[in-house]
Amino acid sequence: MENLGFGLEITLYGMGLVFALLTLLWGFLAIVGRLDRASEEEIAEGAPPAPPVRVIVADAFDLEPEVVAAITIAVLTHTSARRRQAAPAMRSAKPGSQLYASRWLAAGRTRQTRGNVPPKR
Amino acid sequence: MHDYLTRLREMREKALLGGGQDKISQQHQKGKLTARERLALLLDEGSFQELGALATHDITEFGLDSQRFPGDGVVTGFGRINGRRVAVFAQDFTVLGGSFGTVQSNKICRVQDLAIESGIPLIGLNDSGGARIQEGVRSLAAYGEVFMRNVLASGVIPQISVILGPCAGGAVYSPALMDFVIMTRDTSFMFLTGPEVIKAVTGRDVTVQELGGAEAHSTLSGCTHLVADSEQEAIEEVKVLLSYLPQNNNEDPPRITPYDPPERMDAELDTIIPVEEKEPYDMRRVIEMVFDRDSVLEIHPYFACNAIVGFARLDGYAVGVVGNQPMHLAGSLDIDSSDKISRFTRICDTYNVPIVTFVDTPGFLPGVEQEYGGVIRHGAKIIYGYSAATVPKISIVVRKAIGGAYVAMSSKQLRCDLNFAWPTGQIAVMGPDGAVRILRRKEIKAAKDPVALEREFVQQYREAFFNPYRAADLGQIDEVIEPHETRPRLIRALEVLRTKVQLNPSRKHGLIPS
Repeated sequence: MENLGFGLEITLYGMGLVFALLTLLWGFLAIVGRLDRASEEEIAEGAPPAPPVRVIVADAFDLEPEVVAAITIAVLTHTSARRRQAAPAMRSAKPGSQLYASRWLAAGRTRQTRGNVPPKR
Repeated sequence: MHDYLTRLREMREKALLGGGQDKISQQHQKGKLTARERLALLLDEGSFQELGALATHDITEFGLDSQRFPGDGVVTGFGRINGRRVAVFAQDFTVLGGSFGTVQSNKICRVQDLAIESGIPLIGLNDSGGARIQEGVRSLAAYGEVFMRNVLASGVIPQISVILGPCAGGAVYSPALMDFVIMTRDTSFMFLTGPEVIKAVTGRDVTVQELGGAEAHSTLSGCTHLVADSEQEAIEEVKVLLSYLPQNNNEDPPRITPYDPPERMDAELDTIIPVEEKEPYDMRRVIEMVFDRDSVLEIHPYFACNAIVGFARLDGYAVGVVGNQPMHLAGSLDIDSSDKISRFTRICDTYNVPIVTFVDTPGFLPGVEQEYGGVIRHGAKIIYGYSAATVPKISIVVRKAIGGAYVAMSSKQLRCDLNFAWPTGQIAVMGPDGAVRILRRKEIKAAKDPVALEREFVQQYREAFFNPYRAADLGQIDEVIEPHETRPRLIRALEVLRTKVQLNPSRKHGLIPS
């Protein structure tokens, strides 16, 4: 019975300590929150109204939407032209490079064109 | 600075000016660029390496000894186009009208020889008043040297000629011997004999442009493959054309990174064929929907419009496309379209470009003019071209494939690898009306109501023969496919056929009907 009384006493002290610390923490956070709100209200009172949101992709460069549209079209046209020309950036394989990946094909081509070497002059 | 360096630099600077600043200004006033300006547009920046910049002629007659210009009217050398090595020559009209003499020939022949030996494409920019008369017969021999090398290079390296000014007399044969000819509208012309000679001989008045302008050659004669509105556009077309071609006949064209989904299926294809079988539709639209978006480059777009030939891409790979065009002459084959198709099939075969054929032709065009004009031998060229080609070949019977035209247009018997047909396909020896009149003539004649009986026989014939299933039953069609499946089907088929190797019997060369 003595052990039971001692256990209850220790439990009471422990829980009391935990709850006391939690109460202190809650009080600290409440004070910080109140201070933070006060500073935000001060800034809001002195600042100009926020500008309306504009959907401009490149607003970092301070460009007009028309300019951005023109640049976009130019980039797309350039990409299309480069693709049509099979420019290096657009190529997944150089001319002839796949041929040499297949020994069957490379040997076959040689057989197809054998004897067609242009004569030396 | 050392004297020898000063002298060299002075000579180089003089060479850069061609015929002089005045002549350059005159060239600009005509709306034309100089040879060097054209090469600067054509080649990658800083890639040009000139050969023979200081060469001059040694002619002293007719006052030519006082008219020596370094380079002698042509700029030749090597460079790169989109990183690909090419050999180039550009005739310089500012030097004695770009007239063609021995020195010019030697320079062009030099790059031709090196291009053949290096296995790289040759691009020629033509702007010449013709043979240098002061050199006499030597200038004719000079032409011969170039022509002979054009022939040696034929089928070995791609040769593209761009006509950017005059190209008259014997000079026309060099472009004609090359693979592709591009002309600029209004500023270029090409003919064997000019309007004055024609007037003297035949009495007919004709202007230079009417006779040999880009319009005439792109629509009537078929001597030019592509037309450009400006020199810049013409040079752009060279770059695009080159993108579908390999460096030489041993290699493959470049593949670009695929940008159009291979499994894309366009539902519009299922309804593009009109219900009424005589109603035309645009085969170009079919081609656009099947191949990679914006990848089609039509060759000869204004010549023999009853046939369509051109390059396109499938999953980034270059392919050659042939099709009948029902919008013109119902897609029938005639002399010009036969030449157009056969020439293109041989180009594709030479440069290892697979051929995809869309068939919708009611047959060869009937007519006395066609027969007298030799439609038999011209039509035979199509059969020759397809039969001799060893590249992957796939055909799709879209609608009509009738009679000899069916056989000619990449049929199974001409070593076509895969033959597809749409459910709208009509494969038969002849149309139902004609067939019934021959097969059932006696019964129709003896009938009480011949019209009704004929209609009944036509319907029977149509159900029995005028569809793709009979041909599929006999193995002449490998698969009847839904039209919207065409793109993925072609991509998968070409994936298998990419390593196809087929050999022809050994010989000096075949005899193509001509």
